Amino acid sequence: MIDTALAYMLLFVSLYFEIFLLVAFLERTFLSRSSGSGLGSFSHYPSVAIIVPCYNEELTVSTTVASLLALEYPKDKLEVIVVDDGSKDRTLEIAKQFETDARVRVFHKENGGKHTAMNFGLARTNAELIGCLDADSVVASDGLLSVVSIFEDTRVAAITPGIHVKETNNILQHMQKVEYRLAVFNRFMLAALGSAFITPGPFSIFRTSVVSELGGWRHGYSTEDMEMALRIQNAGYLIGNAPRAVVHTGTPHTLKHLFRQRVRWTYGWLRNAVDYRHMIGNRKYGHMGLIILPSALISIGAAIFFFFRILFEFSVTIRHELLKIEVTGALPHPGFNLFYLNTSVMWILVWIAVGLILLLIAMGSFIGTGKRTLPIGTPLFVIFYSFLVPLWLGTAVVRAVFKTGVRWR
Amino acid sequence: MDPVVNARTARWSSYIVAFLITALIFATALYASNYFQSQRIADIQATENDVSAQILSTETQFDLLQEHSCSDVSESDLAPSEMTSLGSELDYLEAQGGNQDEITRLKSTYSLLEIKDYLAMQQLAQKCGLKPVFILYFYSNSGDCPQCEAQGYVLTALSQQFPLLRVYSFDYNLQVGALQTLISIDHVQDNLPALVIKGKNYYGFQSIEDIQKILPQLKTMQTASSAAATSTK
Repeated sequence: MIDTALAYMLLFVSLYFEIFLLVAFLERTFLSRSSGSGLGSFSHYPSVAIIVPCYNEELTVSTTVASLLALEYPKDKLEVIVVDDGSKDRTLEIAKQFETDARVRVFHKENGGKHTAMNFGLARTNAELIGCLDADSVVASDGLLSVVSIFEDTRVAAITPGIHVKETNNILQHMQKVEYRLAVFNRFMLAALGSAFITPGPFSIFRTSVVSELGGWRHGYSTEDMEMALRIQNAGYLIGNAPRAVVHTGTPHTLKHLFRQRVRWTYGWLRNAVDYRHMIGNRKYGHMGLIILPSALISIGAAIFFFFRILFEFSVTIRHELLKIEVTGALPHPGFNLFYLNTSVMWILVWIAVGLILLLIAMGSFIGTGKRTLPIGTPLFVIFYSFLVPLWLGTAVVRAVFKTGVRWR
Repeated sequence: MDPVVNARTARWSSYIVAFLITALIFATALYASNYFQSQRIADIQATENDVSAQILSTETQFDLLQEHSCSDVSESDLAPSEMTSLGSELDYLEAQGGNQDEITRLKSTYSLLEIKDYLAMQQLAQKCGLKPVFILYFYSNSGDCPQCEAQGYVLTALSQQFPLLRVYSFDYNLQVGALQTLISIDHVQDNLPALVIKGKNYYGFQSIEDIQKILPQLKTMQTASSAAATSTK
């Protein structure tokens, strides 16, 4: 009885959050077009430094740097700072080849983690804006132009891009492509609600003075991008999103790598949420404090709860089928009878929630690519992610409780 | 889409609109679920009406045979109608929950129909010298019969294999006068699962082999597969 009540409560919260984002999107699209903050005005080209932190990226670093050098931006206003964070492969040697271009500077330092590489670059530039581009990512040539105009608003401290999957070589990456489309929608809406709490590694651009004022990047439990975003929000600055600043980033190609990456992300989120717990439920932080951060936390609990509930129901079904086989000796023959279709309130709500997620993915596609079509991996995403996500969420929760720490690779 | 950035605000209208829509979705899901449940109940009621008509037909047939011969009646005329599927559908509805009063009423009607069918078949068989095989099965859904589930599977499998075998299943705890009378006449004790076969009571789980030993005529009875083969000739 209690678990049923809890299931309905979590379903209500999950649906409420999806609908809240949807309502906010529609409000923004149809009712409050003018609620932005003076976007589009563009009085001058600010100087920009893009830091490329690298650790053993010999296979991808040249593509990353080449994409930065191809940016449509005044050459005298752009610098690329490659920071080799103690790589053990040929990353440094390959990066050095780009120093023939006056915009590129390459440094080597002892390995200390991504945040130390970022701070290393921060200390070596006077640019007005500072960005990060992970060495497995490539940016579209007009990516920077889509971003810089927003910094005309002096309250803006950071802008996140529209991130897409670089390669879809297997089913896992096709599923991640769908996930990233959903993330495009979420990132866009969180910015529209003044609630962005992640400034991802691939091509987030910051106002250098704010980053310096806040003390540079921190370890942030191996999620320095999340910690920095929360610190920016905590200090009262704004974080925007430019979905037309398209970045394609490398994604894990094996389940093991995906699992490790997501455990790190969730672990970092949970530990940072504890550090910034004063923002959760705090009206001072607007939608972020009242709904975004609480929902992000509740969604972890909801995913784990429903996973175990479905696992329990599945195990009961399996037990019944095994008993049937044992006593009758006959294997079950699949059949379909409309009478036995599960039409309980719970299942109808689950189907509605799935439908809403598909709608949000389509909107993410529209925001990110201008097309409303769902990626080809959508059915697989819905089916397999339902089982995969709770596994890494559960692992991250346990690790966060015991403060085990997480590794990047 | 154009870039977007916004100050931290909290528009209460968004919260209220989202809440109303979510509540509306919940209400719609509740309505839809109740609607489908009502449809199922209506289906079962319609089937029960059909079964009732069939039993009336059998009884009328029996009355006619008082004055005529049984030359036009064979054992295949005694094959179960929608009884088996009706029982499964009622079990499913009961497991799903919902309007328990309505489900209990449907189960009561179903039990009465089973008893009437059982009596009509017995009379017809005696009059015409046929030898149909009946099994009365008493179970409980109150959580006090751990072996009832397995027994149900065995009987379902047997009735599927032998279309002429008539299995009548009864919820022992159902408060229906006729059912309690049947329990009393057959001296069925509260030791479930219980089977009544050829007037003898069997308690505890009975496997397919056990039942085949009790009913050796099953070996010579037409199976579903042979019936299908015959019908496709």
